[in-house]
Amino acid sequence: MNRRCPVRALSRALSRALTTTTATASQAPTPSTFPLKNVTGSNFEPALESLREHVRAADYVAVDLEMTGVTSAPWRESFEFDRYDVRYLKVKDSAEKFAVVQFGVCPFRWDPQELCFVAHPHNFYIFPRQELSFDDPAAYEFLCQTASVDFLAKYQFDFNMCIREGISYLSREQENELLRHLEESSCSQNKHKEFRDVPLISIADVLFSERIKNRMKEWHDELLHDRNCEQFNESSNDSKQQLQTIFYRTRPALALSGFTAHQLRLIQQVTRNHFEDIVYVCVNVQNTCVQPLLVYTDCNTDKDLLMKEVEDENRRGEELKIHSAVGFRHVIDLLSSEQKLIVGHNCFLDVAHIYRKFFGQLPFTAEEFVSSANKHLPYIIDTKVLLNSSDILKYWMRRSKTSLSSSFARLCPQIALGYTSTDLASKACVKVEVQVDDVRASSWNAGAKHEAGYDAFMTGCVFAQACSHLGIKFHPHSSEILAHDEILEKYVNRLFLSWNNQNIIDLSTGSVTGNSVGSTYFNNRYSKISFENIILIWGFPPKLRAREIKECISKVFGPTSVTSVYSLDKTTVFVQFKEAGLVSDFLGLKETLERNDDPISILNPLWKLLDGGNTCAADYETYKEICSSPVSKVYFSDQAWAVGIKWKTKLLKSDVPGEEGIQKQGDANLSPDNAGDSVLGKTNMKGKKSASDDIDRRSFSCGEILDSLCAHEAERVRTY
Amino acid sequence: MAGTASGLFLRRFCTNTSGARKWSVAQVFRSNFADSLERLRADVSGSDFVAVSLRRTGSPSAPWHRISCFDTLETAYSKARHAAEKFQVLQFAVCPFEVGASKVVAHPYNFHLFPRDELDIKRPSYSFVCQSSHLASMVDEGFDFNACIYDGISYLSREQERLAKVWKGIAVHGKHLEKSSPSPSVADAVFLERTRSRIKQWKNAFEDSSTRNDEPLVRSMRKLILGSEEYGSRPSTTIDVCSQRQVQLALEVLAEFSEDLVPLVIPAKGAGAWVVRAILTSSKEDKILLEQELQNLEHEQTKAFQGFREVIELISGAQKPIVSHNSLNDFTSIYPMFLAPLPSNVDEFLRSLCLVFPQVYDVNHMMKEIAPLGKTTNIPTALSFLNNRFFAPIDVEVSPVTGSEGKIHGLNVVRISHLFVKLCSILRSAPESSQSDSSHQAGTLERFANIFRPWPSADPLDESISIWRNDTRRVNCKDVVFLWGFRKGLSTKMLKSQLQGSHRVFSENFDVRLVDKSCAIVIFWQPGLSDTLLSIMNSSDVSGPLWDLVSEGLKAAGYETYTKLCRLGLFEADLADAFDHNFANHDDYSLDHSTGKNYEIHSSSESMIYLEDL
Repeated sequence: MNRRCPVRALSRALSRALTTTTATASQAPTPSTFPLKNVTGSNFEPALESLREHVRAADYVAVDLEMTGVTSAPWRESFEFDRYDVRYLKVKDSAEKFAVVQFGVCPFRWDPQELCFVAHPHNFYIFPRQELSFDDPAAYEFLCQTASVDFLAKYQFDFNMCIREGISYLSREQENELLRHLEESSCSQNKHKEFRDVPLISIADVLFSERIKNRMKEWHDELLHDRNCEQFNESSNDSKQQLQTIFYRTRPALALSGFTAHQLRLIQQVTRNHFEDIVYVCVNVQNTCVQPLLVYTDCNTDKDLLMKEVEDENRRGEELKIHSAVGFRHVIDLLSSEQKLIVGHNCFLDVAHIYRKFFGQLPFTAEEFVSSANKHLPYIIDTKVLLNSSDILKYWMRRSKTSLSSSFARLCPQIALGYTSTDLASKACVKVEVQVDDVRASSWNAGAKHEAGYDAFMTGCVFAQACSHLGIKFHPHSSEILAHDEILEKYVNRLFLSWNNQNIIDLSTGSVTGNSVGSTYFNNRYSKISFENIILIWGFPPKLRAREIKECISKVFGPTSVTSVYSLDKTTVFVQFKEAGLVSDFLGLKETLERNDDPISILNPLWKLLDGGNTCAADYETYKEICSSPVSKVYFSDQAWAVGIKWKTKLLKSDVPGEEGIQKQGDANLSPDNAGDSVLGKTNMKGKKSASDDIDRRSFSCGEILDSLCAHEAERVRTY
Repeated sequence: MAGTASGLFLRRFCTNTSGARKWSVAQVFRSNFADSLERLRADVSGSDFVAVSLRRTGSPSAPWHRISCFDTLETAYSKARHAAEKFQVLQFAVCPFEVGASKVVAHPYNFHLFPRDELDIKRPSYSFVCQSSHLASMVDEGFDFNACIYDGISYLSREQERLAKVWKGIAVHGKHLEKSSPSPSVADAVFLERTRSRIKQWKNAFEDSSTRNDEPLVRSMRKLILGSEEYGSRPSTTIDVCSQRQVQLALEVLAEFSEDLVPLVIPAKGAGAWVVRAILTSSKEDKILLEQELQNLEHEQTKAFQGFREVIELISGAQKPIVSHNSLNDFTSIYPMFLAPLPSNVDEFLRSLCLVFPQVYDVNHMMKEIAPLGKTTNIPTALSFLNNRFFAPIDVEVSPVTGSEGKIHGLNVVRISHLFVKLCSILRSAPESSQSDSSHQAGTLERFANIFRPWPSADPLDESISIWRNDTRRVNCKDVVFLWGFRKGLSTKMLKSQLQGSHRVFSENFDVRLVDKSCAIVIFWQPGLSDTLLSIMNSSDVSGPLWDLVSEGLKAAGYETYTKLCRLGLFEADLADAFDHNFANHDDYSLDHSTGKNYEIHSSSESMIYLEDL
């Protein structure tokens, strides 16, 4: 008994010591936070190297981005009435205008020994800093959406860190452009190499030139007589700081320092005019500063050789600068070249940002975008699509929201909340361990939400858990197998183009479906919108509400003519008609009423909508056209004006054959009588309470019209 | 202990120009805004001038977007407006200062602003543009973006506040303006009559003493029927309205009962309906009491809305002269924060600005009086320039600040004050104090007031105080032609030599200046030649070398087209693209503007070199 006690005590002490060490070691940076590698400009190089290893070994890589904003104007938000091509244009606009400030990359590797995933969460701070002075400064302007920046601030985003130490980047397109520019400028430099002498006006310039000439002559003569430079160095102590003898590529040279640009120009002039065998060159020193040198050359061929060497070296220096300015894009290049499965959550916008920031300009159509994005990133999986598409996963989600944090909490409670219960449910749980800088941890406090690194980690965990529920087996080095897994295959490369109307785009084929893969629960409410039934009205009198607009149109075209009216913003509505024919009827009537602009037009119930004379109407294609503009005004009506729409009604082609469909107000190329009669005739048929206004019915007395108006007004009063 | 404290106090109080690093500036955030505001109020009321200095998230990057020497007031305003709408003010330094005998006592405050949407109304700013190089240099100077974004002060302009009240459904004491229209429409008449009878009925029910003794059940039944409610302890009734017009009509009815009814307009919250509420008061005194109550409530609710605008209101209300370094840029930013969106017309801008800030001095312009060639556009160089050439010792005292040790950010505004006083003393318009000798001072200083034009126009007085050779030549903007469509990357000299001899208009003396890499200005020193050039460029009988240039894509436009581009805001990255864009939509814009104005624009061969790198 006595003998066993110390042993037990020892083992207890040992185990305690062990646990404490692991605890402190695993939570190295600050014990209370989630272990996460924050990467800024200062530790980027080593972090990139270690990330390379992790990505190569990874089964999949989860990513997440934090941006400075999402929509550049309220009407650019996602709406139910957005067709997929319009939706793409909105995403394109967002990716072009806003900056990415944080990029989370989290490689996940299956550890077959421990039967768990090892995650390496990285949180990169990135900032579009202009590293190269000869780049276009307009490319380094970005938009901030006040609400988004405030949102980041709510989650304690470190803006100072991002701006001061954020890693800069160049897209492939920018890099190529810069290299091309470099090529061109070196070519043109060779061409225009004529020098013009600076006239020596001031006496100081004359004296300076003379002094320099003498000093150079001295140096030159000494070089020729006695090539012992040390001796020379000692003799010249007057301007030792400014002129120093060095060797440049085995040639004796004078390094010039402490001269002004003007003085250097004079020195250059003196060299050119008085010394055949001395060359003035500027060389890059350690890629940071430019060092002017006077180099002695033996003969003309040596001189040419020297010039070429200097040029090549400077060129290499510039290229190196461009190469180092590539910065964070190395991470994207890594993901692209390793062809790993990329996992994101609702990540269409993220993919568009990655494309715009690191590859090049976004194409104009969704199909083109998808096919070229797929070339760079061949396997992308969206956990939001996964969770909404699979019935098995829907069962596990138990109707909870599919936002990242709620699905993380629902699917991975053991990771999210640190449960280690031994009940049946947790048996199915995938174990995930986190490794940062060779320190592995299996328990931690929850990380900061909306920090890209932690969000990427959550996304990866949700994916791992989802795979496990779907019955996908993990193998060592299963990366390729994972992307081609027959269960998973139908979810790969399918992204939500718009979450609102559940449009899913297939990155490998470019096809857009309103329905999800293999789901039966899906809500298809909005997929039946036929866009040719929709018109867009803007610039109507302020204070007119959607309901009033609906009433006013129904009065003319019949009570069931309008299916719905949807406000885009306070200046603009979508009106969805029952049938496509009504669209051209409406536009025609509007045009006629405005053209006539007489007391009779004014009595038409539609006039209420046209009052003020700024009401514009157009079909759905115009909406697309306006969305594709780079301009972003806060209100849609201002936007339409800024885009250059100066007409008031866009008649459809079927109405005006031969015309472009765009017609300026007042251009009476419709036969006024016919068009007016037919449309107004329809008005009379359909508009029940409308004060009739056909020209033939002038017999209506003013009193009658007023009566009907009064009745209508009174009824309106009653309804409110 | 006390000794050291007072010693410290003294030392800090007596810091002068040599100890600039020891100046400290009150850093104001949302958390200490209320306290600082009270101190600022006292400082402003005791001051002679108020200097302001703004820091934005960027400045125009395209060369031609920047205000240049060839801009008139109108085009300069358009450019400043474009920049002000694009970039966001993050830092607003205010410095009331007193001027003594060769001494300035400054009280700098550095307000950190962030356009946070406090009320969820997408105001004051939905989004703004940042320039990464600008942000990076601000961080290097020690600007704390975290503090600014987490704890910056938001604001609403007067117009935004008015809209916010509507959106937030804040009740406003309804004031009936006047009889809206002499002959109301039938519908209006119906509404009026209906409302009138309802109010009468409801009011009578309360006045009728017979009903006072009714049972509670009967009373509540009546309440239900009459639609009576309680507002506080007073009975009230609600009139539903469905348009602004009906709000006015309802108020018109209520005005008839004005001796004991107080109308209250409650705007629609979201998509709901507007409501006019009538509150019954028991007596005249009670009515006054209620009106007072309502006013206080309204004031309380709106105080939270204005945020930083309170500072601008304070400065404007004090009617002190404002000193700024680049007044056009600063005030195009201040205007939309304070009043309303910027008007499209510069005259309207200046008119309404003058109502709220009657006296604005721009040190930049005063500096030009001394150094007309405009080499001294930044404040430290201007100061050292003056120090080198003039003897005008001005001591600066910065009032000490507690609790912001080591924060010297926002000192620019003190330097502006310093520069201003120095300039005043050099220009012999010593602004000793506003009381003594005010008539003399007003005369000399006044000619610098409210100059917003980019370059001060020639003034006979200019010659008298010129210190360097003044080789500024002026040219009428009618004699200027914009050329574009030439090969990009062409130098001024190459372009000039191409033009020379291409046509007889170029045989006379002319100059060429590149605006950006795509567009150039040709200045004809002989009047009338510009018209000739424009007309031959548009006609088909171009011949000779000029024809070659035109066939390669050379185009020309007069100054009024440039003015139009700026006014329409066609700020493409390259000026040539903007001109082309304008020509593509040529018919759609009508020139609603008289183009016959003779702008004098300023041009000098010297400034052409310097001003490009402003």
